[in-house]
Amino acid sequence: MKRSLLHNLRILLGAALSAALLQPSEAAAHLVTTGMGPVYDGIGHLLLTPEDLVPALAMSLYAGMRGRAPGRRALFLFPLAWLLGGFAGLSASGTPTFPLPAISFLLLGALIAADLRMPDNIFTVLALAVGIMHGFFNGIALKAGPSGLGLLGIMAALFVLVAIVSAFVLSLKPPWARIAVRVAGSWVAAMGLLMIGWFFRGQG
Amino acid sequence: MEKYSGHMNFLTWGLAFALYLAWPASVLAHVEQGQAVGFITGLEHPWSGLDHVLAMIAVGIWGAQLGNPALWILPVTFPMVMSLGAMMGLLGIPLPGIEIGIAVSAILLGTMVLGEVKPKLYIAAVMVGFFAIFHGHAHGTELPAGQSGLLYSMGFVIATGVLHGIGITIGLIHRWPAGKLALRGAGAFIAAMGFVFLWQAVA
Amino acid sequence: MRSILVGMIFLFNGFLLGTVSAHESQPGSLEMKQLAPDRYDIIWRAPIYYGRPHPAQLQLPEDWETIGQPTERRRADAIVFNRVITTGGKSIEGKIIRFPGLEATITDVFIRLKRLDGTMMSTVARPTKPWAELRGERPWYVTAGEYLGLGFHHILMGIDHLLFVLGLLLIVQGRMMLLKTITSFTVAHSITLAIATLGYAHAPLPPLNAAIALSILFLGPEVVRSRRGETSLTIRFPWLVAFAFGLLHGFGFASGLSTTGMPKAELPWALLWFNVGVELGQLVFVFLALALAWSFKTLEVRWPRWAQALPGYTVGSLGAYWTIQRTVILLGGLF
Repeated sequence: MKRSLLHNLRILLGAALSAALLQPSEAAAHLVTTGMGPVYDGIGHLLLTPEDLVPALAMSLYAGMRGRAPGRRALFLFPLAWLLGGFAGLSASGTPTFPLPAISFLLLGALIAADLRMPDNIFTVLALAVGIMHGFFNGIALKAGPSGLGLLGIMAALFVLVAIVSAFVLSLKPPWARIAVRVAGSWVAAMGLLMIGWFFRGQG
Repeated sequence: MEKYSGHMNFLTWGLAFALYLAWPASVLAHVEQGQAVGFITGLEHPWSGLDHVLAMIAVGIWGAQLGNPALWILPVTFPMVMSLGAMMGLLGIPLPGIEIGIAVSAILLGTMVLGEVKPKLYIAAVMVGFFAIFHGHAHGTELPAGQSGLLYSMGFVIATGVLHGIGITIGLIHRWPAGKLALRGAGAFIAAMGFVFLWQAVA
Repeated sequence: MRSILVGMIFLFNGFLLGTVSAHESQPGSLEMKQLAPDRYDIIWRAPIYYGRPHPAQLQLPEDWETIGQPTERRRADAIVFNRVITTGGKSIEGKIIRFPGLEATITDVFIRLKRLDGTMMSTVARPTKPWAELRGERPWYVTAGEYLGLGFHHILMGIDHLLFVLGLLLIVQGRMMLLKTITSFTVAHSITLAIATLGYAHAPLPPLNAAIALSILFLGPEVVRSRRGETSLTIRFPWLVAFAFGLLHGFGFASGLSTTGMPKAELPWALLWFNVGVELGQLVFVFLALALAWSFKTLEVRWPRWAQALPGYTVGSLGAYWTIQRTVILLGGLF
C-alpha cells in the first residue's frame, strides 16, 4: 500500500518535472514541435533544453547581481549575440566533441557563487561570448527545423527572460535572498563540473 | 500602472513557474522516457543512503550553530567541492575507503554538533569539504545506463541542496534554549549512527 | 508603462513574421458515420493551407476497404474527400487513423464518429500527435484538456487578438482600470463565443476579420493620444471600448472551435474549456507584458523618443495594414 503510494507520487513528480526539464541530451537529434509554428518551436526548444536554458538563467542572475547598468547591457546584448551566433550557426555544421555548455555552467556559476565584481567591458565581452557560443550551436540544431524564425523566437524569449530575472535579482533586498542566488550559482557550477566529468566518462 | 509594480515579483514568479510546468504537455509525448528518468534518479539518489542524509543534515545544522558567515559559506561551497569529488570518480581516480570515510565524517560532524564546537572557519570548511569529496565520489557517479548525465547531475545537485536546506531549517531552532539542546541531541544521534555505519563498513 | 512597453514590440516583430497569416488557417475535420454494422461513410475535409491544398493526407487502417468510387469536391476554403468503407466485419475499436504530413503544419483536425446506436465519439489530431485512436468513452478530463489546449493555442496564434489586448494595456492607467478593462473584454468575447458556438448567430469570416483589424486600427491613434496626455472617450472609459470590440473578437475565437456534427451534449463542455484555454493564454500574455514593464522600470531602461512612440504606431499601422489586406480579401470575395 505504502509502496504504491510512493510509486504514484514518483510518477506524478516525474510527470511534472519532465514537463519542465525533459530534453534529450543530444539537442540536435530532437527538435520540439509545439504545433504552433517555427517561432514557438524555437521558444519551446529553449525552454526544454537545459544546456541552453540554465546558462541563460545564470547570465540573467549574474547581470542582476552586478546592477542596473550591466543588467541593461545584458538585456540588449545577450539576446542579440545569441541571434547573431545563431545565424552564423545556420550555415555551419557539426557538433563539438567537447560539451561547451559545461564551460558556461562552470564559468557563470562560479561568478555568481563568488559574487565577483568585474569591469563593465569584461562583463560585456562575457555576455557576448556566452550568447554567441550558445546561439551558434542553437543555429546548427535548429537548421533542420524552425531555423531563422525559431532563432527569432529564442531571441524574444531570452529578452523577456533576462529582463524579468535580472530585474528580480536587482529588486531583492534581504541579505539572505542574495545568498540564495549565490547558492543557486554554486549549483550551476557544480552541474558544469559534473558535465565535464560525464564527458570524460563518455556518458555526457 | 507604476503603483503596483512592487507586487509584480510574486505574481511574475508564480506565473513563470506555472507556465513552465504547463508548457505544451504535448512535448512530453515526444521525448524518450529514459532521458527524463535521469533527473528523477539523480534527485532520489542522495536520499537513498541514510549515512549521506544524516551527514548532510549535520552540515546544515552545524552551519546554523556556527552562524554567519559559515551559515552561507558552507552551502555555497559544498556543491562545488562535492562535484569535484564526483569528477574524480568519473575520471577514474580511486578514493580508498569511501564507506569508512563517510562513516567517519558522520561521526565527526555529529560530534561537532553535539559539542557545538566552533573551530576557525577554514578548519570547519576543510572538514566539510573532506566529507563533500567522499559524498560526491560515492554517489555522483552512479548513473544508470541510458540516462542523461546532465539531467542526473541536475537532480543530484538540487537534492543535495535541499538536504542542506532541511539541516539549516532545523538549525533555526538554535535561537531557543530548548532548541539548542535538541540540536545537540541530534548531533549525538548522528555521531552514534556514524559508529554504526563504521562498524558496517569495517565488518 | 506606456513608454516602457516598447520591448514588447520587438517581440511582436518576431512573432508576426511567423504567424501573421497563420491565424487564417482553419481546422480540418474528419467525420465518420456508421451506415451499417461494418460500413462507414467517411468525410475528410482538408482546409486550404496558405492558398494550396493541405499537405496532410488521410491514412485509414489497412484492413478497411473502400466501396464504390471516392469523390473529391473543391470548396473555397477546403477540399472535401468522401468515401464509404467496409471494415470486413471487424470492430473499429482501437483502430488508428493517421494524418501523414500534418506534423509539418499548424492545423488541428477534429475527428467525430457517429455510431448507428446514436452514440458518438470525438477527438482531435494535432501536428504534435498526427493520429487518432477510435475508441469508446473517454474520461471527462481528457476531453476537457483537449479543448483547453485548443483555446490556449488559438489565442497565442491569434496575433491580432493579442495586439488588441496590448493596445488596451497601453491606454489603461491604474490597477482598477486595468482590471475593469480586461474583465469586460473577457466577458464580451465569452458572450459572443458562446452565441456563435451554440449556433444562435453566425458571423461570416471575411467581414469579421476586417472588422477585427479595424478595432486594432482604432486603438492606434488612441494610444498616441493618451501618450500625449490628451483624453478621449476611449481613454476615460477603456473598458467600454474593450467590451464593444470584445464582442467582435468573440466571433473570431469561435472560428477556432469547429462544432459541426459535435454531439449536443458535448457542446457546452467543449465551449467552457475552450474558453478557459483562451482566457489562460490571454492572462499569460497580460502578465508577461506587465512583468516586462516592471522589469524595464527596475532596470531603469530609458528608451529614446522614437522608441517610446513605437508601440502606439505599431498597433496603429499593423491595424491599418490588416484592415486594408482583409478588406481587399473581402471585396475579392464579393466580386
